[in-house]
Amino acid sequence: MGFVTYDVNRYTPRQMVVLPAILLIISLIVLGYSMATTGMPVKPGMDFSGGTAITIYTEDSPDVLKTVLSEYPIIYPIESGINNGKFLKFGLMDEATFDSLTSILDERYPDAWQFAQIDATFGQTLQQLAIYALIFSFLGMTIVVFLAFRSFVPAGAVILSAFANIAMTAAVMVIIGIELTLPTFAALLMLIGYSVDSDILLTMRVLKRQGKLEEKLSGAFRTGIIMTTTTLAAVAAMGIVAYLGNVPVIPAIASVLFIGLIFDMMNTWLTNAGIIKWYVERQESRQRKESGKKRGVK
Amino acid sequence: MNRKDLIGLLKTWQVALLIILVAASIIAIYPHMDDGITTNLQYGLDLRGGTWLQMRFQAEVVGFETDRPVSEFLTELQETLDAEIYLVGDNKIEIRKFYNESELKTAFTAAGGTLTSYEQGVSRETADQVKQILEQKLNALGTRDAKVNLLTGFSGVTQYVRVELAGVGKSQAEDIVGKQGKFEIRIHTAGNETEHVLYGDTISTVGIPSQEPGKNTWGVSFTLSEAGANQFREAAIRYGGTTDPDNHWLDMILDGETVYSAPLSPDLAAKLQAGPVQQLMASTGTGQEGLSKAKNLEIHLRAGALPVEVSVAGTSTIPAPLGEHFTRMCVYAFIAAALAVGVVIFYRYREPAIVLPMVGVNLSEIVILLGIAAVIQQQLDLAAIAGLIAVLGTGIDQLVIITDEVLHEGKVPSRQLYEKRLSRAVGIIMVSAATVVIAMLPLALLPLQSLRGFAVITILGVLIGVLITRPAYGKIIAAILSK
Repeated sequence: MGFVTYDVNRYTPRQMVVLPAILLIISLIVLGYSMATTGMPVKPGMDFSGGTAITIYTEDSPDVLKTVLSEYPIIYPIESGINNGKFLKFGLMDEATFDSLTSILDERYPDAWQFAQIDATFGQTLQQLAIYALIFSFLGMTIVVFLAFRSFVPAGAVILSAFANIAMTAAVMVIIGIELTLPTFAALLMLIGYSVDSDILLTMRVLKRQGKLEEKLSGAFRTGIIMTTTTLAAVAAMGIVAYLGNVPVIPAIASVLFIGLIFDMMNTWLTNAGIIKWYVERQESRQRKESGKKRGVK
Repeated sequence: MNRKDLIGLLKTWQVALLIILVAASIIAIYPHMDDGITTNLQYGLDLRGGTWLQMRFQAEVVGFETDRPVSEFLTELQETLDAEIYLVGDNKIEIRKFYNESELKTAFTAAGGTLTSYEQGVSRETADQVKQILEQKLNALGTRDAKVNLLTGFSGVTQYVRVELAGVGKSQAEDIVGKQGKFEIRIHTAGNETEHVLYGDTISTVGIPSQEPGKNTWGVSFTLSEAGANQFREAAIRYGGTTDPDNHWLDMILDGETVYSAPLSPDLAAKLQAGPVQQLMASTGTGQEGLSKAKNLEIHLRAGALPVEVSVAGTSTIPAPLGEHFTRMCVYAFIAAALAVGVVIFYRYREPAIVLPMVGVNLSEIVILLGIAAVIQQQLDLAAIAGLIAVLGTGIDQLVIITDEVLHEGKVPSRQLYEKRLSRAVGIIMVSAATVVIAMLPLALLPLQSLRGFAVITILGVLIGVLITRPAYGKIIAAILSK
């Protein structure tokens, strides 16, 4: 690949894991700080915290909307999408207020607005279910990986990279302000499964193929990078088109997957590759020692 | 590749299966011209417009302990709480009115017991009944594009019910859900003539199917308001029902349809002669048949009203034109993603003989996935579409693994070596597929609304890939490389 100049064999295992280790620590600090200040590691979106969200597709500027809807409890700022989409959030409204709001919108923007409303208790129910789902997913993945490798270090390396992926992606979500909604949550879970496949490729190639470690590593790297770039391309294309077309849900899923896949490259080819390299080198040196001893006895 | 090779390739079961499934899927999707291009695919609300309502049950399932006889305890509780209470398990009751935990604690202590657990929601049986009522109502309206789903926690208590209605707005959806049928009781006079007795609005409560003490016939008890009881008595006396009960059957009619018909019992006739009766019971017979009739009768007596009050916990409406726009955009997003994948693959291999089969197999996977979605009636919503495009991404990943594994060091391998390498590639793919399936499984099983579609599509996509398209691709690429 012409545009990738990283050489997986140039660095020692220690050098390889430094960068991801620092990033992981920073990510955990970011998540911990967010947890301490807001009670949630990632800012919960409307699905989990409750509220009313209205999207209006109009050429009216946010200021115009502000005057039109001045009587209603808008939570500012009004966000604007690229093609006329305006995203408004509202505070608590009673039924009558909400109905009058909808009739204004129906009159002014017929068929060009949509809304969603979730109450806080329901949001909490969803939150709870989401936590269960996350735990089950991660545990399930751990079990599959252990069954596949039946060896502590390689399996641990895969699981650590998957964990680092999720943590780093979540930290970036906090920093750039992507909220945790049902779709972005699904994307995070998908990363658990997604990120593991290049790790497995790496581990299988290194442990089960014959040949020199360097060759196996760079071969796995060539395949792995093309895999992740194709997925990145698909995800980016879907996200951009959906974003330009003002489609909800998909851009959020795409951006989380995109961020996660970028980290996946780093965690696979630095974290996981570093650990597996260290592991194989250590085993080889042990074998050398043992065979050396045997020779000594003779 | 010559003709003979091609025929040989088509005869391998992997390739044959792929082709058959693609053909079957196209038939299942059934694209045809009907006011634009129409297919058998089911779209979610966010793609075709409509409203969903998530409703919370105003009831709770609680555990209790008491030293008193259970029936005494419950009777007293019923009086203090002024709510319908049903035993739903050993020391568990369903209270069909909203109370918070501390309110109940006080009431339980006052009645001589203790509250041992508290959970908002209803028992599975009640929830199923609510679902049935809502489905009947929606079917009666001819809205076949309606879905009712329950959200049940791990403890088995159902907290929410969700109704999805295509093509209607919020207020209309609320009307439909809240709409009640017209219920009437009429009495037979002479021959086939009947006279009006009372309307459903005088029925104040409806019980659940039960057996009268000492009898094995099933029935549903219901109470009339004072006015209703008077109307009932007057009609029975006026038309001679009290003196000749056997010839004065009572009909229950819901929306013009007779749903129950039986004579007055001599027992009740005598009581009515003496004074108004508020507590009534309609019996439906013995055994399993009697019970199932009783269940239906209960629903009819409620005339479409739910046995438990609900409050709206979440709702969303998407206008149909917006949904159409989203659908169009999804198609563009899909095409863009497929093109992007094709370009990257071409950049890597620069060999149409490899790139074309790769992209072709990748797309056939999507066709089969859509075919299965059409057959199992899996709704495609925005999240599911994102899942579909993600499948496109993972699918191509695994084709890359196979290609690189087989093409190792750029040499064309011998047949034996090829098989060995292919099986190693399949090993890698199997493990990664298993992790994706496991990671997505909780989302497919938990009632997390729209995420279900996403998870189901992802899992199906991975399975189709591992079981059908990857093996076929292995054969195809081998045939191409052995040229």
